[in-house]
Amino acid sequence: MTGTERICVQCGRAIPWGQADCPVCKEKESFLWTLRRETLLAFILVCLIALFVITGLAAKAYHSREKALATEWYNRGEADLKAGDPASALEDFRSALVYSRDNSLYRFRLAQALIAAQRFSEARTHLLTLWEREPGSGRLNLELARLAVKESNEPEALRYYHQAIYGVWESEPEKRRREARLEMCEFLLNRGAKAQAQAELMALADELPSDPALHTQVAGLFVKAGDYDHALRQFQAALQLNRRDQAALAGAGEAAFQLEEYQKAQQYLDRAVRLNPGDIQSAQLLETSNFVLSIDPFERGLSQQEREHRVLRFFDLVFRRVRECSRKRGVDLENPKTETDLKALYDRLQELRPKLTSRFLRHHPDQVEPVMDVVFAIEDQTARECGIAAGPDKALWLVARKRKPKEQ
Amino acid sequence: MGEERLFLLLGVIIGLFSGLTVVCFRITIDWTRVNLLGSGLTPSRLHVLLAPGLAGIIVAALVMHVFPRIRGSGVNQTKAAVYIYDGYIPFNTVIGKFLTCALAIGSGQSLGPEDPSLQMGAGIASALGRSLRLSREKVRMIAPVGAAAGLAAAFNSPIAAVLFVIEEVIGRWSAGVFGAIVLSAVSSVVVERWFLGAEPLFRIPPYRLEHPAELVAYAVLGVVGGVSSLVMVKLIGSFRPRLKALPRWTQYFQPAAAGLLIGVIGLGFPQVLGAGYEYIDQVMHDQYPWRILALLGAFKIVATSLSFVSGTPGGMFAPTLFIGAMIGGAVGGVEHHFFPFLTGSVGAYALVGMGTLFAGFLRVPFTSVFMVLEVSGNYSIILPVMISNTISYLISRRFQSTALFDLLSRQDGVDLPSMEERREEAVFRVEDALRPYQGPILRGSESIAEALKSPGGPHFLVSDGRGEWAIVSRPNLERLADLGQENSTIRSVLPPERLPHVHPDQPLDVALRRVGEWPLLPVLNRADSGKLEGVVSLQTILETYRAGHRNHP
Repeated sequence: MTGTERICVQCGRAIPWGQADCPVCKEKESFLWTLRRETLLAFILVCLIALFVITGLAAKAYHSREKALATEWYNRGEADLKAGDPASALEDFRSALVYSRDNSLYRFRLAQALIAAQRFSEARTHLLTLWEREPGSGRLNLELARLAVKESNEPEALRYYHQAIYGVWESEPEKRRREARLEMCEFLLNRGAKAQAQAELMALADELPSDPALHTQVAGLFVKAGDYDHALRQFQAALQLNRRDQAALAGAGEAAFQLEEYQKAQQYLDRAVRLNPGDIQSAQLLETSNFVLSIDPFERGLSQQEREHRVLRFFDLVFRRVRECSRKRGVDLENPKTETDLKALYDRLQELRPKLTSRFLRHHPDQVEPVMDVVFAIEDQTARECGIAAGPDKALWLVARKRKPKEQ
Repeated sequence: MGEERLFLLLGVIIGLFSGLTVVCFRITIDWTRVNLLGSGLTPSRLHVLLAPGLAGIIVAALVMHVFPRIRGSGVNQTKAAVYIYDGYIPFNTVIGKFLTCALAIGSGQSLGPEDPSLQMGAGIASALGRSLRLSREKVRMIAPVGAAAGLAAAFNSPIAAVLFVIEEVIGRWSAGVFGAIVLSAVSSVVVERWFLGAEPLFRIPPYRLEHPAELVAYAVLGVVGGVSSLVMVKLIGSFRPRLKALPRWTQYFQPAAAGLLIGVIGLGFPQVLGAGYEYIDQVMHDQYPWRILALLGAFKIVATSLSFVSGTPGGMFAPTLFIGAMIGGAVGGVEHHFFPFLTGSVGAYALVGMGTLFAGFLRVPFTSVFMVLEVSGNYSIILPVMISNTISYLISRRFQSTALFDLLSRQDGVDLPSMEERREEAVFRVEDALRPYQGPILRGSESIAEALKSPGGPHFLVSDGRGEWAIVSRPNLERLADLGQENSTIRSVLPPERLPHVHPDQPLDVALRRVGEWPLLPVLNRADSGKLEGVVSLQTILETYRAGHRNHP
């Protein structure tokens, strides 16, 4: 375009640069100018239809090719992701998106690959782009929740978890919602929000199907939340469905142990250890439970003789514990000048010792409780001085704790 | 069928043809790109280096020998058709633009498909208008109808396309052509979406303005965008005439040389190749750190300038959007680094940046605002967009008085009307030529004798009190009195035609058209048509124009 150079003498129009004659006048000599306007319109419409058909065929081939390319790049991305190469997968998924811009699945997988590559900010924007279109999608909200967890953004994580729980899931909605709630509970427990987790777990427990593994899983979370009562119930529910579920037996035993129901704990733990002798934790708990049950003088169903025997045995064990504790703390119990709490405890025990005989207890059965209260108090104090030792010493402490008033 | 109705019907037909053509154009560009550069986002190094250069040789040969009128983006060529060639655009321009631009853009030259689509649409419209033997005036105005259709289909944004054509090609809101422009834009977009889907060019992440203080950050973006626009205009403005002045034989190799240089840049930054829409989507999703974004913006400015000044046919809309997105994202990244409390995402800055460059580089402020709104579908972005775009536009205006398209046309030796200058021309109004009326205002019921007793000049205004005015001359009344009609009423001797009137706010050319042979025209108050503000005459009108010329030659 370099400006007009000549003017047509016929029509007075500027003759464009590069043209020998006036194109407008030349057109008027063509065949088209002899046709009626209506005929020309019809001809134009025919051309339009023809162009529609050609464009349709071209578009069909184009879309087909785009789809093939998108699928090819997407499959490459999936393969790279499976092979543990998120960086290559990113490039592949991005290429797939070029050919299928609005494909939610591709964008979602890209976001997941970005998370795997630790590129959280970019992943977030992709997920939010999808979320804008489907704010109720359970899958998207769960992914955003997981991202928020990685970024330690608790309020946002909880918001998205709740949206995932009450969101729309294309397949197995109940199962997905349950899994989302379980994941949220784990998150809450990891953050120390036990009360919140407990509330969610109770809501979840009401809706569990008959699946022992699920009951066991939920019970495990109750244990983490410190709610042994509900945990025991869930373990028992699991055992009702499968009596030989070792994990449920071990869990029930532990829950009962924590609830100081040592009889029940012993039963569960015994069965658990029989099923899996390698379960060391359950074995240790069983040993402790057995010891508790063997030395507790207030155990139900004991004969007078057995009770006396246990009181004396308990006393001896506490006496031994105080001496061991003093040795550990370097306290000389025989030195009258020693003035420590441990010495005071030891002196009290020494006072009681001559009196505490089978005969005394037989003739004064009402003294069993006061004597044991003193002994328990000494054991409790010793535990504070020297900590709670494992094994039989722990059993002493547990028996003493059991006798404490609940309000303590 | 009347020509007005035919014109509207033709608007729809043009829209359909343009939409179909643009669909085929986009398919051809994508097909070319896949075949020359591969289907992945990172093409092979050999292809990147060689494809733009080799394609440049073919493009140059086609431009030099087969399609000599297809150089440039297409916007000025369409304007030339409207203002110089009475709407004539040869149809082989459409074919040439289609083939050369598809090859150029598909091979990696840093140009866009929108401007060529605009010209192809205009060419189709011109061919259809001429074949249907429309009047000269209608053929002249039909090119913008096709331009709007082509641009709307290319951008998938009918509002932005209509505004651009009105803002830059026609330069005014003309009711006569507006209907056809809208119909053509809408029908072309319907066709384009039918075949290519209604997906936007890129997905915009959600955006929300959290605090008004964030607008300051976008103002900073406006400054940066304005400066970047200036750099690009100066680059193109200074190098283009130098390359055009080189011997003719060099024009065979200029596109190839530009392509080779772009290929070298592309080895490190393949994002600068082609239109770059897929990378804009990635910027929206926070893929790149701000340093990379700044580099991409800078290299794209260089690459686009190279492509354009070398004479490779193609458009600048897409590169403008790309540069804007990169610069916007870079500014957003820097601002987030120093002011982490800013809640706008990098994608939001990239989005605003696109509009900012559009306003500063192409100097189309209205179009830039609506383009961003249409592309994002998010109204809450409007405040940052308006602020940023306005600042960028003002900076560009301040330091580059001639807009890009006007600069290019003047370099080509063509004096096309500058829409920007036209918008800013001083408009004379009736009130500028208004003079107080010295004489009496007669009533129709008065007698000629009474009227002749009144003082005043050679003419009397006559009002019926209902907004209708007339004029009688003193000599005429005196003659009637001499004939013994001094007791006749003024009303009975009035001429049948009533005096036209004007209002103070009307453009002065309205008064010029209405004054005709009348000695003067009453200037009436709009709220009360019986109230005379003053009068204008041909003399006062011409005096006003002359005084204006002296002040603003």
